[in-house]
Amino acid sequence: MSSLVLIVLLPFLGSCLAALLPANARNWEAWLAGSVTLGCAVLALLQYGAVAGGDVLRTTVSWLPQYGLNLIFRMDGFAWLFTLLVSVIGFLVVLYARYYMSPEDPVPRFFSFLLAFMGAMLGVVLSGNLIQLVLFWELTSLTSFMLIGYWHHRADARRGARMAFTVTATGGLALFAGMVILGQIVGSYDLDDVLVAGDLVRAHDGYLWVLGLVALGALTKSAQFPFHFWLPRAMAAPTPVSAFLHSATMVKAGVFLLIRFWPVLAGTEAWSLIIGGAGLATLVIGAFLAIFQHDLKGLLAYSTISHLGLITLLLGIGTPLAAVAAIFHTINHATFKASLFMAAGIIDHETGTRDLRQLGGLRHLMPITTTLAMVAAAAMAGVPLLNGFLSKEMFFAETIDVSGSMNWGLPLAATLAGLFSVTYSLRFIHEVFFGPPARDLPRVPHEPPYWMRFPIEALVLACLVVGVVPGLTIGPYLHLAVVSVLGGATPEYSLSVWHGFNLPLLMSVAALGGGVLLYLVLEKCLPVRSLDKVPLLHRFDGQREFERVLMAVTGFAGRVQHRLTSQRLQPQLMWLVLVTLIAGLLPSLRGVTDLRELPMALDPAFAMMWLIGGICAVAAAYQAKYHRLAALALVGGTGLVVCLTFAWFSAPDLALTQLAVEVVTTVLILLGLRWLPRRLEPKELGIQASLRDRVRRSRDFLIATLGGGGMALLAYLVLTRDQSESIADFFLEKALPEGGGTNVVNVILVDFRGFDTFGEIAVLGIVALTVYALLRRFRPAPESIHLSQQQDDPEGYTPSKDAEEGSLLVPGLFMRALMPVLMVVSIYLFMRGHNMPGGGFVAGLVMSVAIILQYMVGGTEWVEEKLPIRPHVWISSGLLLALLTGLGAWVFGYPFLTTHSPHPVLPLVGEVPLPSAFLFDLGVFSLVVGATVLVLIALGHQSVRSHRSSAKAGDTPDENRQRGAIRWS
Amino acid sequence: MSPMEQVPLWAAIPVSLLLIIGGLLCVTGALGLLRLSNFYQRIHGPALINTLGAGCFLIASMLFFTVSQSRPVIHELLITVAVLLTAPATTMMLARAAVSRDRRSHRPGVPPHPGQAEGEVHTGSRKE
Repeated sequence: MSSLVLIVLLPFLGSCLAALLPANARNWEAWLAGSVTLGCAVLALLQYGAVAGGDVLRTTVSWLPQYGLNLIFRMDGFAWLFTLLVSVIGFLVVLYARYYMSPEDPVPRFFSFLLAFMGAMLGVVLSGNLIQLVLFWELTSLTSFMLIGYWHHRADARRGARMAFTVTATGGLALFAGMVILGQIVGSYDLDDVLVAGDLVRAHDGYLWVLGLVALGALTKSAQFPFHFWLPRAMAAPTPVSAFLHSATMVKAGVFLLIRFWPVLAGTEAWSLIIGGAGLATLVIGAFLAIFQHDLKGLLAYSTISHLGLITLLLGIGTPLAAVAAIFHTINHATFKASLFMAAGIIDHETGTRDLRQLGGLRHLMPITTTLAMVAAAAMAGVPLLNGFLSKEMFFAETIDVSGSMNWGLPLAATLAGLFSVTYSLRFIHEVFFGPPARDLPRVPHEPPYWMRFPIEALVLACLVVGVVPGLTIGPYLHLAVVSVLGGATPEYSLSVWHGFNLPLLMSVAALGGGVLLYLVLEKCLPVRSLDKVPLLHRFDGQREFERVLMAVTGFAGRVQHRLTSQRLQPQLMWLVLVTLIAGLLPSLRGVTDLRELPMALDPAFAMMWLIGGICAVAAAYQAKYHRLAALALVGGTGLVVCLTFAWFSAPDLALTQLAVEVVTTVLILLGLRWLPRRLEPKELGIQASLRDRVRRSRDFLIATLGGGGMALLAYLVLTRDQSESIADFFLEKALPEGGGTNVVNVILVDFRGFDTFGEIAVLGIVALTVYALLRRFRPAPESIHLSQQQDDPEGYTPSKDAEEGSLLVPGLFMRALMPVLMVVSIYLFMRGHNMPGGGFVAGLVMSVAIILQYMVGGTEWVEEKLPIRPHVWISSGLLLALLTGLGAWVFGYPFLTTHSPHPVLPLVGEVPLPSAFLFDLGVFSLVVGATVLVLIALGHQSVRSHRSSAKAGDTPDENRQRGAIRWS
Repeated sequence: MSPMEQVPLWAAIPVSLLLIIGGLLCVTGALGLLRLSNFYQRIHGPALINTLGAGCFLIASMLFFTVSQSRPVIHELLITVAVLLTAPATTMMLARAAVSRDRRSHRPGVPPHPGQAEGEVHTGSRKE
């Protein structure tokens, strides 16, 4: 397997594995996640040789080549750098999380989601296909939703997760649309084709659409103004998650996207306006808001927003040099922001609070953490000899470069934002570590364990080394990334620390000095600590707008639903039948209908039988409203006629199955009927149906008649068609030689159409489980909640007592004697199924009839005491058996569900046909038994429950008896 | 060719007779179900069909197929066993249900539950 595929696959595999570990295995989880992340990093490092040579590594996994849809993994220098960044910071975060997560937290979920998220992120980075990129993009939204909502018992975590998901996934949808348009413009969804088609795209009419939609995707993901509001709310996540998501991954995905498509989309006025505008606004607003945060992580969140704005603005500027600065700052920001988040997490972990107003003087208690945090914060503020300074200076230089000598707006705004960032960095350090030592903290802080601090040390060291000797450390790798993005347009740039006295240096100095000054002024004149609201900007509440929009959308959807749909079953059915009727009639309007004679003469006995069946059906419909029991009995009559019809026309399989199905359905419906309240006829109530009701009923009657008549007509047309060219011949011909059985119906079910059957039994299992789940929450109508008259015996005979010694003793004995007989019949039907009428389905039904009989005579409690049936086990083992039989074919190199029919010769018995379909049929059998019995038990238990609820309601037996008792006078 | 021509006359006559008698029994049972006055009487009709009627058919079937296929055919014994097992159980449950219903509505003449005071038993009264 190619290592590119492995890099993406490894975290997902690790995620599955992590989910299966026990809940308290913190160390195992950490080892697993650590080795996965480290493995990804090593795999990425191994690619350096090839990537450094300027190659673009590609691995294609064919999927739908005819539609241009393949899984393409692609790694150039930029993707390589990002992969390394994600996996190394991922590793450090895992190490940190091992110590951060408390033993009470369910860590398997945490590490599982974290690894899945990392896999999705690496998928975004390494995607070589536009659609695939969007897929992984949405996967990051989904997994980050899980991570942010990790502490789902907390309302703020749930709300934050939902908001982040709504915003980023909506952006993802926009991105999807944009990518589809882009792919259509270029004529290929392959990233390599798209990247060289920049001129074509920019000249195309659809360019603005692509730009707008892609920008929507990237800006929402990167939390750019005006979509920035989700990021501070996502701080409800555990701090390792924040450190990972908001430094190197999640929010960087948006930046990554913009850089990735920079050669294609950048360089137009619209690009600068949209991307640059959003970046500039975010840069200044984010930095300003960060100053006034009281939550440690909130401050870092807004500073993240602001720094992302800086990167976005650099990309929006559109010059190659700005793009270089953007890539550089992306890496720098990842290192110092991850370390700052981790430091914030340590402070929170050790002191028990993140509130800046409570904290103070921690430098005495945590000197090492203090030092580390100070260096990282200085990098964030852009202090010289740290990595943040370098990229920020490149940024200042670019703002001057594009503005010319007359326009001072952009450099001024940039300096202002730099000034703000110095202020909030200062506030972070000063209020946490300096000043008077904090009192009444929830916990007494001390230095964290060494390995918890290690990730911060590593990252801070990186900040320092890159800041001092950039050319020797980051230089070659950055160059690699820059060349792979910009190609021929790569400008000359210098990474040296000292460029001499120039305007950018002046801006830096101004920002540093101004920032310190601003902090001092704020401390003196406007005590930030006592401010509840951010001055000037508190009116821009993104959350409120978001919720307003969400409410409006939900309300609109509700109104539309209210207008267009109905919760009542009758109108729904009416429309269903009407549409079916019209659809069925359409072909006949085109004159296809030719009514031919039935090819055979009608046997009078058969006609008689059908007359009876028809009468039963019509009578059932007539009785269905007020006399359900009678209707059910009549439906049973019709069912019997159907069985006889099958038998008459030489379809014993169908006849057998139909018979068993009739029995089971009747019993189950009977059990359900008990919960329908009695319906009184108008006569009894002394009322008359209004004219409107009569009209409605006549209409419904007409529709019903037309629908039934239409079905009959359709059946008639099908039956009278010429049958010479049908698939039946194929089955009849191949059943024995290829399916190894003479019962064609069964061979079709378990062999030719085995996959269909597999799907059907899966559906059957799902339906049974759904019925079970629905009935667990079943609340009967108030009229039928009480014990039914029949259940309430005056002498206090419960069903189980009745079966033991009461009136049901003798029938019960008979039925118990019948059980083994029925089981033998069931096994017999099953065994002969492949060659003679029978099979797993019928056998399963007969088996469940045997069990149903026991329930009927013995009552629920009695049977379950004596005969423990575990329907879930039957269902799952049946499904598993069928699946394994199908998979077994793979072992021998055949497609799924290929049947093998060996004929082993056994001693005494002789040659025995033993097709693998037999095992499959056994699975069908087991599932049918399980599903039927599960529904039965679920229904049967309602009666048990009603005994209890009736007792709870305080019904005395007499009241029960009087309610609805038939008077006999 | 009529199926009856497959067997010799000595077998055809008893088979036909059994079928006719069985058919008559069925008609009688059905008439009883239709005409008799109350549940406890009506339940005898189907019982007649189940036992005597079905028995006639089963014997006829055994005889016919044994002779026509020139080998003993006794599958019908299985049907007999099944009918013997199920028919009484069904009848009994139906009767019990009827008794329970009548007791509940205090219908005159229904026997009380065992262990309670004995009442007069007469099941022949017509429904008023």
